[in-house]
Amino acid sequence: MKKLFNGTAIALVAGLVALPAQGQQRLVINSFGGAYEEAHQRLIIEPFEEMHNVEIEVVTAYSADALAQLRAQAANPQFDVIHFSGGQEVAAAREGLLAPIDPADLTHYDDLYPFAVEGLEEGRGPVMSVAVLGLLYDTSVVEAAPTSWEALFDPAIGESVVIADISNTYGLLNLLMLNQVRGGTLDDIQPGLDAVAELLDNGAQIFSSSPELQQAFAQGAAVMSPYAQDYAFTLTEAGLPVAFVQPDEGSPGVYITANVVAGRPNTELATAFVDFSLRPEAQAGWAEALRYSPTNSAAELPEELAGQVVYGEEAANRLLRFDPDVVNERRPEWTDAWNRLVAQ
Amino acid sequence: MRANPGNAADRIEPVVLVTPGLALIIGAFFFPVGQILILSLVPPEEGLSIWANFARFFEDDYYLRVAWRTLKLSVIITVATALIGFPLAYVTARSPRWLAFLLLLLTVLPLMTSVVVRTFGWMIVLGRGGPVTQLLMALGLGARDAALLHTETGIVVAMVQVLLPFMTITTLGVIASINPFLEESARTMGAGFYRTMRHVVLPLSIPGLVSGSLLVFALSISSFVTPNLVGGVRLPVLAGAIYQQATSVLDWNFAAAQSVLLLGAVLALLVPYLALMRRAQHG
Repeated sequence: MKKLFNGTAIALVAGLVALPAQGQQRLVINSFGGAYEEAHQRLIIEPFEEMHNVEIEVVTAYSADALAQLRAQAANPQFDVIHFSGGQEVAAAREGLLAPIDPADLTHYDDLYPFAVEGLEEGRGPVMSVAVLGLLYDTSVVEAAPTSWEALFDPAIGESVVIADISNTYGLLNLLMLNQVRGGTLDDIQPGLDAVAELLDNGAQIFSSSPELQQAFAQGAAVMSPYAQDYAFTLTEAGLPVAFVQPDEGSPGVYITANVVAGRPNTELATAFVDFSLRPEAQAGWAEALRYSPTNSAAELPEELAGQVVYGEEAANRLLRFDPDVVNERRPEWTDAWNRLVAQ
Repeated sequence: MRANPGNAADRIEPVVLVTPGLALIIGAFFFPVGQILILSLVPPEEGLSIWANFARFFEDDYYLRVAWRTLKLSVIITVATALIGFPLAYVTARSPRWLAFLLLLLTVLPLMTSVVVRTFGWMIVLGRGGPVTQLLMALGLGARDAALLHTETGIVVAMVQVLLPFMTITTLGVIASINPFLEESARTMGAGFYRTMRHVVLPLSIPGLVSGSLLVFALSISSFVTPNLVGGVRLPVLAGAIYQQATSVLDWNFAAAQSVLLLGAVLALLVPYLALMRRAQHG
């Protein structure tokens, strides 16, 4: 009798535990941590969870790490939606790691700028926001706003220049930008490496994560840094006298994409999540929270906010975009060259 | 043990008890490590020998420098923790209970905080504009923008703080088991404090120092978070290089070869140690 009772009790408990797991669907996505992830939660993740009664698990992973994880998990992927900021979607789509998206499944397809929906049928997800790379500078030390990337090489501020490591997307783009300014091409980045060597000789420091940049500006150790517009805003919000400027030679654009991972059971829900990320309210929210530039023409921004981001299709098209195919293919070789250059 | 060895339950019982632990070690340790060993033997291109990845490591000046830096820093860190940990352990072992408790608490408390949090603390303390720099400037020792952050000295300082508890606790156990009467007898025979330490305490605490050193060495040579954050990207250590190879450059075979070499370096010290301990037991 006791055995029967125990057995029934165990079965009941097991059943109760299993119930929630059946009722609620789950999505696993990645985000980029810090202020970005906070905004991501507020603008997209939490509203989606409520609307569709879904549980979303967020894994903090920068794009390069996320791609490495996807490749490692190729036989049994653990992510449903993956976000990239460095063009990794091109390589991932080619390797069959991403699922193609039918334009008919995206309700906001018609409103998106053409560059934002390239390659959907190959698996490359739509661009959900654009960040701009430029120069951040401390307004209390630097009097006149710099107008050229060459301002970084001024020996007077040599020791107070900080640049991002190549493991960070912005660091890679910075290298490519300096390379272009100094006359190099994607096939030969030696001018870029020489430029970085010059910065290091002047006393520049290298950091690998965004919070370190904030710390450097806060401690007065940094006066100028090539980084992104969204982070400049985060620093000003933290009370630091930092301003952002787009140099004359041009600014690279960072295209943040939301992609559906192939080989997962709930691709429909994942595609709905990607679509949800593109809606005008979310786009306007990103601009307001972190000064990201929208890719949805239906997103409406108040005038002063529009002046602080790259607003409109024309302005977005003027951003420099390095060929993602070449970048992805040669990135390992560039990373190796960079490591050898900077190692002491 | 039961007196009846023929009983089937007796034969099965030990096996059943050992199986879960053994399964865990095989599944979670030997199997992944075996995979890495196999990965490291796959040559980067067809036709090259299976040792191609290892050869690449030793032929490349960059990696040799990384390995040398890792080894050098680990030895310095081990010696530094021993120099600080031994006196600390001795004082704790020979103190009245209340003081011993306090010292032990102070030693163990840092372990309660995540190592990443502690490392970030060191980054602020050692960075430009941090208290260390300000102190150096006030004493007239430092240049205007000097900082210990992103230097090898900074790495050693932060790592010693992180690993000190391990050395102290290991040594403490051995010292505490030394009979205090031995020291007293040495003192009554006329030996001073330092002679007593040299001839009585130190020889008897060698086993503790050795196992503490081994632990600290193994931990510091494979350490990744603290050297990466405090040292920065310009001072790579082996564990950091492996991480980069595996996630940025995506050359898993080479990363596996480096991991095998790292494991080999630790084993190279472990095996003589075990052999020595064995000889000490039987000799």
